Amino acid sequence: MEIIEEVIDDIVVEIVNFERATLREAEELKYKTESKVNSGYNKFIIDLSNVEFIDSTFLGVIVGTLKKAVKSGGDLKLIGFQPNVRSMFELTRLFRVFETYTDLQEAIRSFHK
Amino acid sequence: MAEVKSANKILLVEDEFNIAKLFSYNLTKAGYQCEVASNGREGYEKALTYHPDLIISDVMMPEVDGYEFRKKLLENEELRKIPFVFLTAKGEEEDILQGYDLEIEDYILKTSSPKVVLAKVSAILKTLEKERSKVVDEVSKAADSMGVKVVPEEFPKFEGFEIKHWHQPHKNVPGGDFIDYIKIDDDNMVVVLGDTMGKRWGAWYFAVAYAGYVRSATRFVLEASSDYKPSTILQKVNESVFKDERISEVFITLSIVILDKKNKIARYSGAGDLPLFLKSGNNVSPYLSNGLLLGFSQSGEYEDHELQLKSGDELFLVTDGITEARNSSGEMFKEEGFIDFLMNVSPNTDTLEELKLTMQSFTSGEFDDDVSVISIKVL
Repeated sequence: MEIIEEVIDDIVVEIVNFERATLREAEELKYKTESKVNSGYNKFIIDLSNVEFIDSTFLGVIVGTLKKAVKSGGDLKLIGFQPNVRSMFELTRLFRVFETYTDLQEAIRSFHK
Repeated sequence: MAEVKSANKILLVEDEFNIAKLFSYNLTKAGYQCEVASNGREGYEKALTYHPDLIISDVMMPEVDGYEFRKKLLENEELRKIPFVFLTAKGEEEDILQGYDLEIEDYILKTSSPKVVLAKVSAILKTLEKERSKVVDEVSKAADSMGVKVVPEEFPKFEGFEIKHWHQPHKNVPGGDFIDYIKIDDDNMVVVLGDTMGKRWGAWYFAVAYAGYVRSATRFVLEASSDYKPSTILQKVNESVFKDERISEVFITLSIVILDKKNKIARYSGAGDLPLFLKSGNNVSPYLSNGLLLGFSQSGEYEDHELQLKSGDELFLVTDGITEARNSSGEMFKEEGFIDFLMNVSPNTDTLEELKLTMQSFTSGEFDDDVSVISIKVL
């Protein structure tokens, strides 16, 4: 169980392999994305396909990363929602600010448009 | 997350298979969870994902040795906090001193019997737990003495309404939920429930800051108009926090209800929060606001709901500590569970007390997060 990071072109892909993503997983994601932001990356894709539940702390890190990415001219896109995760985004009205895609290729293409 | 009880995950970094097996066998038998890595590089990777409570590491290992491993951990802000013990055959004074230079807790010789090692491990973890409790206790006392409260001790008095709350911080460490009541004049009372994204002290600090923002935004709105709208308060708070660099990475959900005593009206607006629930007779209606989390975008697009109330009606504001509470099988209480509870609770009982009992029995007393509920009953 871990977060796997890949860089495809100039896009950072974080695959979250935790069933429940909460405080500790949030710290790990924050550590990873912050290092990338600090090295100049501003395009992120977070793959939540394997995640059954995220809490507000984890969501906070995703939102924080999006904010930083947008600030430097980039974006953060999400893929793979299970029902509980989807409802978390609906509940916090964050569907309005995140672009979501069904698979990685589609998300990557959206950065190249 | 059902957090693993503190101090029971150990990462053992040891290249000699038999020694690793012996120690991990004994640690596991003594009730610890134990993961093994065979050198410093693997140990570092495991530490990132396994989040151990204690790391026990050999010194002489292939690829990355114990000293290098420790140095690498010290460079990582999170990992350097994990207590670290060297386990080694190297018993020379200089080796031991070199180990202590790397901010380690202890040095255990491989020649020690497993019993001695277990006793040391247990003593280290107990001392750290004691220190942690002491710090929490001291900060708690300091916060108390400064009068920094994120939840009022007493329920507010407001004629025609009975307002109560239930707040239980996660593991009794102040966290990110906050509650406030601001009486703006004889006829109007502002009820505030907020949840900072994060847990424990970090979140608590921001909760204090946010509670301050909400108070000053409320004052501003009152001075600016006599038309009391919760959406205007939210918009004002949002503008301020959006501009504030110090909290630009902190996100918060907020619910604001303004009670109008004269007209028996509740005006509600929310930002990324759970719905406001109205129980009227046997009906329960959730009112979901449209506003974004505070601090995310400059225009939060907040809107108001106006609810005409009658005697006997009850309003509830809750944070996700209730809806995301889990039972022993890992199932969540959910919003549906809360609505079900409200529909079935007898009108003659104290709903909040009944909710406490229901949640206690649902979770067996093991909560994953701060729990906050405000109930407002129309008399």
